[in-house]
Amino acid sequence: MENDTRAPSQSHPAWRWISDRGLRVETGDTTLTRYAALISLNLPEIEDIIPADGCLFLIFRRGAGLSENLRSALIAPLAGKPATSGTLHEIAVEYGGVAGPDLPALAERAGLDAAAYINSHAAVEYSVAFLGFQPGFPYLHGLPCALHVPRRASPRLRVAAGSVAIGGGYTGIYPASGPGGWQIIGHTTAVIFDPQREAPALLMPGDRVRFVPR
Amino acid sequence: MIEVLRAGLCDRVMDQGRPGRGALGVPVGGVADPAALAAANRLVGNDAAAAGLEITLKGPGLRFPLGGVVALTGARFAATRSSGASVVWGETLVLAAGETLNLERAEAGSRCWLALRGGLAVPLVMGSRSTFLPAGFGGYRGRALRAGDVLASSATAGAVRLLRARVPAIERDAPLRVVAGPQVGQFDDAGLLAFFAGNYRVEAASDRRGLRLGGPAVTHARAELPSQGVLPGAVQVPPDGRPIVLGWDGPVTGGYPVIAGVIAADMAKLAQLRPGDAVRFATIELERARSLATEQWEIEELT
Repeated sequence: MENDTRAPSQSHPAWRWISDRGLRVETGDTTLTRYAALISLNLPEIEDIIPADGCLFLIFRRGAGLSENLRSALIAPLAGKPATSGTLHEIAVEYGGVAGPDLPALAERAGLDAAAYINSHAAVEYSVAFLGFQPGFPYLHGLPCALHVPRRASPRLRVAAGSVAIGGGYTGIYPASGPGGWQIIGHTTAVIFDPQREAPALLMPGDRVRFVPR
Repeated sequence: MIEVLRAGLCDRVMDQGRPGRGALGVPVGGVADPAALAAANRLVGNDAAAAGLEITLKGPGLRFPLGGVVALTGARFAATRSSGASVVWGETLVLAAGETLNLERAEAGSRCWLALRGGLAVPLVMGSRSTFLPAGFGGYRGRALRAGDVLASSATAGAVRLLRARVPAIERDAPLRVVAGPQVGQFDDAGLLAFFAGNYRVEAASDRRGLRLGGPAVTHARAELPSQGVLPGAVQVPPDGRPIVLGWDGPVTGGYPVIAGVIAADMAKLAQLRPGDAVRFATIELERARSLATEQWEIEELT
């Protein structure tokens, strides 16, 4: 067992075990590039790799450890940017009302009327930082600071599929119905995730998103 | 082939899951106790990766129009066969054409697994036959079984061998072993004491996404967190202080502080918890957790 807690840098990210099968690697701005480099190696000890907020989470097969190949790949210098398409998606959104029950309280908190709040949310071109929480759920980077808001204290037991929501410094879209703790401001009919599609997730890390009020 | 005469509480087709898709937000999912389904598969002569049924708390009534070779592992359920023969867990069972297998309530524990010789032939979705209910895909039409469903199985060559599995013991009353979580520093002393010394109960609103625990509130010093990758077994604490142990169909990322993680060796025990069960936690060192051997299911000939 070994933890490497040196300060992260592009050439040598820090890592540490955070559970008996989970290794957290601090990757900062290079998360998607490092992900692409590691996943292409198909290392037998790795069950899955999950990109998140400035870090990668490596899930090991039970009983497997950090091999020399993986250690080398973690410290290898990165060449260039990841091959993401950067596709721009326009997502039509019905803001407020039944579709966005938390919008009035969030607008008041931000010191805006509903129309100004909607304009503020829809004025930004977001980028997909990573997918998580549910299949295809995009964590969209670029939310104006004035709209940042903590998640709900107790998650809702059911949030409708297509709900456009805010959690902390991210905005996102719930692909499927289920429990959720983010604040709901609107709804879209776009199909965010379809397991039968060749590319199941509509929005991929590195893609760009613009919300269009309906 | 299986005809579902009567559905159980939540009968789902499962295999060993769909690893490698975490970046799409898709968890590995799959059978809650991979070794138990693998053993059931070996008892009927299947590849360990074949799809079977995961049966929870109350089982289904199943008819085998063409007969079949089946095996059950995991929690024991009250069960009968229309032939009158006894239903033995952990052994190869040969059912006659038209025979029915009736599974009632779990006698202890929560889940059992049924393998059918040939494996259940449902379509592969994203590389797996496992049902993923939170998004409604995989398994049999993306859902739990209903009365009237018909499950096909693949043809298998070779002679049927009658086998028995020696089941690794699960110490049911022992605490769940955990390693300290990555955000253990975000909890105050009262919160840490509450969690690591407290007695909890599994709440009714628990499923394969997560086990919700009732008991002493786990108070935070700081509740917000950037989203991070998480594993089944991670114990998340939302701002309301009520811990949730993430399950097999839980999210791949989470934004609530993780106070502890159930070790891989105790996930099979987690799979057998049911609403109302008492839960305590005991910490062990990470190095020790990683050195624990995988429990072995030994398969032997029935004599």
